[in-house]
Amino acid sequence: MPLTPEHIDKFITVESDSKTKAELLELLNERIKKLCFEECERDRILCTLSPLCSKRFLLKLRMLNGLSVEDQPKFCYSVHKNIIQRDFRNKTVIYKPFDTYLYLIDFLDVFFHGDYRKLNKFLSKGDIKAAIEIFEDRIKNRNEEFQYFLTADKNYIIFKFDEKIHIIFLNEKYALCNANRENIPNLEILKALIDLFSNLYFPEIERRLIPNDCVEIKTYIPRDVLNKTSQEPPENDKNKKDQYLWNTFANELDALSQFCKEINLYTDKKGNLKIKLHLDVNNGIRYRDLRLVFNIVFRLYNDFYIIWI
Amino acid sequence: MSEKQQDNPEISKIKDFMKDERFDDVVNIIALYLGDSTDENYLDRLEDVIETLMLLHGGRTVLRFLIERLVIDIPSLLENLSKRDSVLRYSFLLLLKSMCEDECELFLPYSEDLLNSEDPNVREAVLQLLVFIAGGEKSIEDESLIKAITDSMSDEKDFVVKKAIQALIAIGRDKPSLVTKIITNNVKEFPENKELKESTDKIIRSIVSVEGIEEIVEEEEAIEDEEVEISEKELELKKKKIEIQKKKLELQEKEKQLEEQFIQEKEKALKLKEDIIDQETEKPLKKEDVEFPKKIKKIMKKEESDILDKELELKKKDLEIKKKKLELELREKEIEQKAIERKEEALRIKEELIEKENELSRVELELKERKIKQKEQKLLEGELERAEEFFEEGDRENKENGK
Repeated sequence: MPLTPEHIDKFITVESDSKTKAELLELLNERIKKLCFEECERDRILCTLSPLCSKRFLLKLRMLNGLSVEDQPKFCYSVHKNIIQRDFRNKTVIYKPFDTYLYLIDFLDVFFHGDYRKLNKFLSKGDIKAAIEIFEDRIKNRNEEFQYFLTADKNYIIFKFDEKIHIIFLNEKYALCNANRENIPNLEILKALIDLFSNLYFPEIERRLIPNDCVEIKTYIPRDVLNKTSQEPPENDKNKKDQYLWNTFANELDALSQFCKEINLYTDKKGNLKIKLHLDVNNGIRYRDLRLVFNIVFRLYNDFYIIWI
Repeated sequence: MSEKQQDNPEISKIKDFMKDERFDDVVNIIALYLGDSTDENYLDRLEDVIETLMLLHGGRTVLRFLIERLVIDIPSLLENLSKRDSVLRYSFLLLLKSMCEDECELFLPYSEDLLNSEDPNVREAVLQLLVFIAGGEKSIEDESLIKAITDSMSDEKDFVVKKAIQALIAIGRDKPSLVTKIITNNVKEFPENKELKESTDKIIRSIVSVEGIEEIVEEEEAIEDEEVEISEKELELKKKKIEIQKKKLELQEKEKQLEEQFIQEKEKALKLKEDIIDQETEKPLKKEDVEFPKKIKKIMKKEESDILDKELELKKKDLEIKKKKLELELREKEIEQKAIERKEEALRIKEELIEKENELSRVELELKERKIKQKEQKLLEGELERAEEFFEEGDRENKENGK
């Protein structure tokens, strides 16, 4: 049986001799270097239309490890940027650039082209106020449609263009575009995302950060709704609320339980059914998972909460 | 596809017609759509069209029609695409692949000019098209085109050099000896260029198989044989020239000898005359003396006749030499004339080619003019229709008002 990637993975985990490990990893490193700088870039059509690493993840590998744009294969990176730009402009692309990273200046160039030099200067110097003025100007005076949210500790700025989420990592000077399957790295971003979506879709719902632990979202189903709910499972589809509470609610709680650290259901003094969700990042919640949580919360808010308030 | 594009009525029409496979109508719409564009929006419109065609079934067919009918011409298309991002450019080039393979004559006439374009992206794009063409049915045999590709191996842009190498490898698979000959000659022109040498090595290694080597060796042997033959003939010619020169020298020597003999004879005759005169003046006439001059006279007459004969011979030889000289000159002139005739023939062929090219460009211009006229006609008809409608409406309103 030939050597497989699993064998190597296991070997790196198990092997205690650091020298051997280093040798193996150097082999891998050399291979990556050759792949990127020689084999893939040898033919620009090949590099553009069918890169040798899937969705150019090797660019991300370098970027997340703090390597500069000079350390990247230049043409490959330029195509990568082009693809994000084309996707942003709703043009055809070879692959959807989900979870892709760009250096800060390139991110600003793609999404805020006219002001990218100024924005880069402000954000690099930490003058976030000046940058926000530009964002506000673009929204109010230039009819651009996007939302942004600066995180509590001012380490990240989250942008929402239609349904797409992009996050600037201010300290690292790069940005994550079209966040989807990546894990949400910390509570600061998680809380900011919840705030951003809450402000837009369910503003009255309570949320708070429990430091170093989780973010709490609290909603409820009013007593009146509960009282009007039939005591037996509905036989037809006429009453959608009955249908939801009898047939769907349990499934949705089950779905939420996959992403929540804790779910508390209880009736308060007024007889409302309180639903308390504790979301944390320790179990690897992804951006797309959070979207699912938001969908459920939005339905509860839209169908039960907002009417009764 | 952009939202703008989705809202665009022309693009929607194109899509609808494509669904119904009304390719001619699609071509007409695209021609009008691009024809109505301004300098500012031409590129956007072209991009919209290309994006639409790339995504739709039958897009290649329409694209071929567009190129055939000169709605889109390859040089300006490549130049325009160069201004856009690489994703669009390369996707579009890929769209042209099958067309290059099957109908290379649509592209080959522009190739050499495009290889000299100022824009490196255009140079790269045309090389890519040549790679596609070489992979198709017909092989590229045009020596000047291969030479132009070979020149691209010294391009300032690395990606153009890489593409040129790729193109030469692709062409060389069909024509190993031709490509090998041209690229090795190119290396000889720049013996100090190491990168060029390496690239050439790489191409040769890629295109030459065992059979290929045999073929090249055979051809080289044939060339060597020819060269040997030529050098042998040259030697023969040289020998003949030397022989002619020798003969000339010999003749000159003979002339001199004859002249010397003639002078000697004359001197002898003069001496004899002097002797006779001396004897006549010193002694009175005796019987013997009277007889002596008769003898001398005879001898003199004989010698005189000999001299005359020799003079005649000399004159004859002079004439012969002159004749030979004239013959040689005649031959030389004949050779010169042949060379001039060959040159004239080559020039005539060139002139014919230029005339044909001019004719082609004139026909192209006429075609374009015709298209513009058609467009104008259509516009006029549209205007007339609109005017008629307008007047009809006016009439109707007048009637209604009258009522």
